[in-house]
Amino acid sequence: MNASSTVTKGRMREFACWAVALAAGLLLGGVAAAHHSFSVFDMQTDKVIEGEIVEFQWTNPHTWTWIDVTNADGSKTRWGLEGMSPNFLGRRGWSKNTFKPGDKVKAVIWPLKSGEPGGTLQRATLPDGTEVVNFGRGPG
Amino acid sequence: MQVYRWLLVAIVALPLAAQAQSGREGDTWESLAKLPELGGLWEITFGGGPRGPGEPPSLTPPYAARLKSYQEAEARGDIQDTPAANCVPNGMPGIMTQPYPIEILLTPGKVTILIEAYSQWRQIFTDGREHPEDPDLTFNGHSIGHWEGDTLVVDSVGFTTDTALGSFGMRHSDQMRIVERFRLAAPDRLEIETTITDAEALTKPWTATRAYGRHRDWTLAEYVCQQNNRNFTTDDGKAGINLEHEGQP
Repeated sequence: MNASSTVTKGRMREFACWAVALAAGLLLGGVAAAHHSFSVFDMQTDKVIEGEIVEFQWTNPHTWTWIDVTNADGSKTRWGLEGMSPNFLGRRGWSKNTFKPGDKVKAVIWPLKSGEPGGTLQRATLPDGTEVVNFGRGPG
Repeated sequence: MQVYRWLLVAIVALPLAAQAQSGREGDTWESLAKLPELGGLWEITFGGGPRGPGEPPSLTPPYAARLKSYQEAEARGDIQDTPAANCVPNGMPGIMTQPYPIEILLTPGKVTILIEAYSQWRQIFTDGREHPEDPDLTFNGHSIGHWEGDTLVVDSVGFTTDTALGSFGMRHSDQMRIVERFRLAAPDRLEIETTITDAEALTKPWTATRAYGRHRDWTLAEYVCQQNNRNFTTDDGKAGINLEHEGQP
């Protein structure tokens, strides 16, 4: 392992810690919450979805990843996945091109409690096998 | 008459001239150069503070009761989120502890804090002025500051009661006063000790210290919360999310 990948790994671990802390509201010692609560998401369940990227919205206050998932009967369902902001992710290796329309990806999410096709994006595997961490427990 | 006029000029002008020469710290570009160098962006560190989250505030009975009923409503699921989900900025003190960087600009007579989260800013007058006698009540308050050696001491008053003291159920009154002491604990570590007093809401001052790491190579990024905000809170505190997307199959 070369020095730069060690740095990347360390950075990634710090990043994962941040994300967990944010999710748990631990970061600020109860002083201030970030943009919104996680009451609508089921954070006890890691759900895996696979599909094709329709659009990656590099916007505030959250990035949104739209994925078409093909169901068993051949129909398609569009999933909307909320992610960290471009400000946060842009400083941690992501860009507006991290997902491109047509990319086949596998995503680990915290699904909506309502059962609607949406959730919080934790991490995803890109077509070339790279895993990108957005939020949550991170790899491992 | 002429003599009196000159005398008046002398009385007013001489102390001013003396002050300009000896200088209130941070009042001229020359004196700013002697103050700590705060360039780059500062981001709150993981864990928040050098001594942990600190003690919780000691609330007066009515404010403690208000917090308790809020927490009970949260536990029942009646209250699920705060106005921040609708892009309403946190105001002070919460706006200083967001997971986004801040930039601190020193100019003669004024310190400006640019806060990336919700595109907020604070201005801290270091030119010797006082607070207004009857300040307008705002999210970030009215701030005056002075330097004690290498420490910037900021005193802020005039806060709207729409904002929270800590978690959203923990409120403050319009009597809230915040004193912050900014100092470089290490070359790339800024510590801000924040002490909050509020005769109506707190039985004693509440102090917490938080650390910020320096990122010299970062620049501020735009944060327009209304750009694509799909989260929302209803007036009665219910949370929701908007999953509409163009061309949905």
